[in-house]
Amino acid sequence: MKPWVYLVVLLLILPVQAGLLNPLSIGGIKPDIALAVVFIIGLITGPVEGAFAGMSIGLLQDIGSASLLGLTGLSRGMVGLLSGLLGRRVLDIDNPMIVLFLVALSMAEGLFIALFLQTTYGAVPFLSLVAGRIVPQALYTGLCGLLLLHLTKKKNVLTALTRRELRKER
Amino acid sequence: MPGFVSKHRKFIVIFFLFVVLFWLLTVQVKNGRFLFLERPVLAVSGFVERIITRSFSAVESVGDWYDFLVSTDRENRRLKTEVERLRLNSALLNELLFENERLREALSFKKLAPPLAVMVQVIGKDLSPASSTITVDKGSDDGIGKDMAVITSDGVVGKVHTVLPNTAKVLLLTDPGNTVAVMVQRNREEGLLEGKLVNCALKYVSYYADIQEGDLLVTSGLDGIYPKGLPVATVMKVTKQEAVAFQTVVAEPVVRFSRLEEALVLKK
Repeated sequence: MKPWVYLVVLLLILPVQAGLLNPLSIGGIKPDIALAVVFIIGLITGPVEGAFAGMSIGLLQDIGSASLLGLTGLSRGMVGLLSGLLGRRVLDIDNPMIVLFLVALSMAEGLFIALFLQTTYGAVPFLSLVAGRIVPQALYTGLCGLLLLHLTKKKNVLTALTRRELRKER
Repeated sequence: MPGFVSKHRKFIVIFFLFVVLFWLLTVQVKNGRFLFLERPVLAVSGFVERIITRSFSAVESVGDWYDFLVSTDRENRRLKTEVERLRLNSALLNELLFENERLREALSFKKLAPPLAVMVQVIGKDLSPASSTITVDKGSDDGIGKDMAVITSDGVVGKVHTVLPNTAKVLLLTDPGNTVAVMVQRNREEGLLEGKLVNCALKYVSYYADIQEGDLLVTSGLDGIYPKGLPVATVMKVTKQEAVAFQTVVAEPVVRFSRLEEALVLKK
């Protein structure tokens, strides 16, 4: 993707995640739009750009919140890398079922963070965390990911990117 | 070897970045959180969050205005009755206050002064999956400072973490880096309440301490941040294990953070 697109995404992702999504919150759960964006970037650009975008967005979220610097950067980087590998080798981007991978990656990230916090601070209530936050948020994020993917396809972003890749290969 | 490196150069850079991030984490676990770039990021995101929140409020207020017109008369009559009842209550409370002050003076107790408070509006919530924070629309220009208590009429919300002239970041009770000195209201057993993302855990509570499900935890005032006696959380689950010196106590904050729109910051 072009650098200015990344810049716009990076500038908007924090306020959108923190402010714009609040009215969409259901019972305190709101979709993790930043994760969905990382997943889609990974899918359409590949593992390297996906990992880099994930790390940048995650680091920005770490700086903007009060979490340990690098925790979300590390987990989002992994998500970008994995979605890039999946997009390149396994998944058909046109199939809407791929959001199930987003749901799975969201759950995996939630568990990774919970495990890290358990190791660092101890006594994390896993059951309530999984049932009360990780699973509902993953499902909600999957739904938003589906909408985002639909918008991306509608705007012909995928076609433009594929054309650019083909030009590069030639 | 050079061929392998040049072929996989990008992957090697990514791997190196992962290692750096992991190293950063281990350093922070040992020495505390880095505050690198925190203020500029809060300034930019706070500015855009404020615009987003105000735009939503403007749209919502049009709908609210119609509702307001419809229900004003009914509300007015209800409020008049309420005012009469509160006047009576206030007179009774004033009597009790004077009596309390006289008795305090007689016992040479320190006079209680209600702390000054600033009303703030929440403009951003839950930025990262690994922490629980909110952004509010007032900062150092309104006298808000680091580590000031943030409360609502229900109880404690958290404390101020980072302050800019017109924005501040508040660490909620459920943030893993937040700790509050509390006591059980029923029997004054003390402990430290630590955030666990969805709820909180009471730490350092002796195996023999009498703590029951449903107990209300209030601030003990020992941390020097929160005034004594504010409701903090309700005990949800108590687990005792043989051969473990402390009990595991899980508590749920009394304030519903998902519905939080305004709060009070208590000035020191």
